Amino acid sequence: MYNVGQVHRKMYLLFLCVNGRAVRKNQPRRKRHTGTGRGKEHMPIIEVKNLSKTFETKEGKVEALKDINLAVEQGDIFGIIGMSGAGKSTLVRCLNYLEVPTQGTVTVEGQELGNLSGKELRDLRSSIGMIFQSFNLLMQRNVLDNVCFPLQIHGIQKADAVKRARELLVTVGLSNKEKAYPAQLSGGQRQRVAIARALACNPKILLCDEATSALDPQTTQSILDLLRKINKETGITIIIITHQMSVVREICRHVAIVENGRIVEEGLVEDIFTHPKSRAARQLIIEGKDPDEWEKEQEEIKQERAAGVIPILHENRRIRIVFSSNSSFEPVVANMILKFGEPVNILRADTKDVNGTARGEMILGLPGDASIQEKMIGYLEERGLAVEDITDSLSSYEKEEQ
Amino acid sequence: MDSQTILMIAEGIRDSLYMTIVSTLVGYLIGLPWGIVLAVCDREGIKPNAAVYRVLDVITNIMRSIPFLILLILVIPITRAIVGKSYGSTATIVPLVISAAPFIARMVESSLKEVDHGVIEAAESMGAGTMQIIWHVLLTEARVSLISGATITTATVLGYSAMAGVIGGGGLGDIAIRYGYYRYQANILWTTVVLLILLVQIFQAAGTWISAKADKRRV
Repeated sequence: MYNVGQVHRKMYLLFLCVNGRAVRKNQPRRKRHTGTGRGKEHMPIIEVKNLSKTFETKEGKVEALKDINLAVEQGDIFGIIGMSGAGKSTLVRCLNYLEVPTQGTVTVEGQELGNLSGKELRDLRSSIGMIFQSFNLLMQRNVLDNVCFPLQIHGIQKADAVKRARELLVTVGLSNKEKAYPAQLSGGQRQRVAIARALACNPKILLCDEATSALDPQTTQSILDLLRKINKETGITIIIITHQMSVVREICRHVAIVENGRIVEEGLVEDIFTHPKSRAARQLIIEGKDPDEWEKEQEEIKQERAAGVIPILHENRRIRIVFSSNSSFEPVVANMILKFGEPVNILRADTKDVNGTARGEMILGLPGDASIQEKMIGYLEERGLAVEDITDSLSSYEKEEQ
Repeated sequence: MDSQTILMIAEGIRDSLYMTIVSTLVGYLIGLPWGIVLAVCDREGIKPNAAVYRVLDVITNIMRSIPFLILLILVIPITRAIVGKSYGSTATIVPLVISAAPFIARMVESSLKEVDHGVIEAAESMGAGTMQIIWHVLLTEARVSLISGATITTATVLGYSAMAGVIGGGGLGDIAIRYGYYRYQANILWTTVVLLILLVQIFQAAGTWISAKADKRRV
């Protein structure tokens, strides 16, 4: 019985591949980004079409998600970013059908989740790992048993499960903690256990729901490094839900920005980071602040204006420069100041050295003289930096606000 | 106190323990699944089912609102049908179970509802089925609370078993009624009271010790 099922499944997969290719011939070729370069996959591993989710509450209907379309390629690290309440947590739960969408389809590895039986869906979930903000470990089981848990659910023999769990604990760097209980671990360690547990069944996809939001910056960094390592080594597709732009910049290749239940912008992280178009993207990227803080600040600026206290810097020209390939040994901004003999104001700087390359961005306030402004911009562009004039866009945004 | 009285009290302790332990165990046999169904079918549960919940909820409330002394008398026909007589220790087990089961169901329900929803969601995301979640997540994660509940239940059942002495239930309660109340033997009355207090203390201490041992959340 088991063998027949297996053969059947293989044939089914084969059929899918053939069918997938046949269909593709008739479609216009789109430029695709494949993470690990595994040539055979041309079909996105996750495809969301026209997905909407409405919650019925006592106060009436709440539209959490509206007409979401999304395709994630195999091996990608895909970020979904938005403010709290934007609907991103609901969206990620639709990807493994923890939430059933009100409308639309979710297709994972060619299987439409809405068409699966309860049993089939549970089996499919073993190929989708998930980690959470609050780790959600079994507090009454030790680390090893926590990692064995999903294997146990899927009927793996105890000895094999323990063997696999030990391997995973080595991967996440916790092999000396297998007998410890979650209560004895730090937040970062707990998330590592959760990652090991999520990887136990060799999933093809890992969903991360605000996985680093409860962690301090250093621990966040180490967890992101771990996720990147796992992605590189196993080719697992990772979907990261976050409200922290820093997380997306650090690790994601693609990003979708969610606002009020809609995807307002989507693309390669570099592109969106260099030229954010949507309002939400600007808030998240240019200001780089916590959205609530941002709103508060905008309110303060408005009040200051009304009171006649106009901040001097608002009269300057502002540019945003993005470092991506410059040597971190070259002091670009300092050289520019020395060359032109004019001061610039660094309004925001967020750069760091990644293996000798400067990465990150700065927002500069340029001196009043228009010709010097142009020269400075020219100088920066010559050095290979992406320069974006944000004087107008910010003020136009402010107008939009009023 | 003569040796005969001492023997009678010793037998009383044995009967009280017998009624308490058997009633609690049988009570859990019925009350545990009952409580699980209540917790699972609740609106916030893992398999919400309004109809099932509503029916069980009402039955639980009705059974819980009948005072034990009245229940003792009401169920005499059932007791006769099961045990063959309506007095003595074994007969008392029937009303004790009928009274304890819905109480246990409520205890279990509230213990299971304490389990962090995130952990349940994590298990669902791994592909765990309802039975697996009940067994591996709900019962395991709530075990400390379940043990505390069992301790409270045991002490309550012991108290009720003593109350059954009024209608000839056997055990320490029966001795207290017959000798302490009808024959004005204050020393026997007080002895049974002290023994009941000691029994409750022992149950409580054992329960606390076991639940502390079972709890891995405290470092």
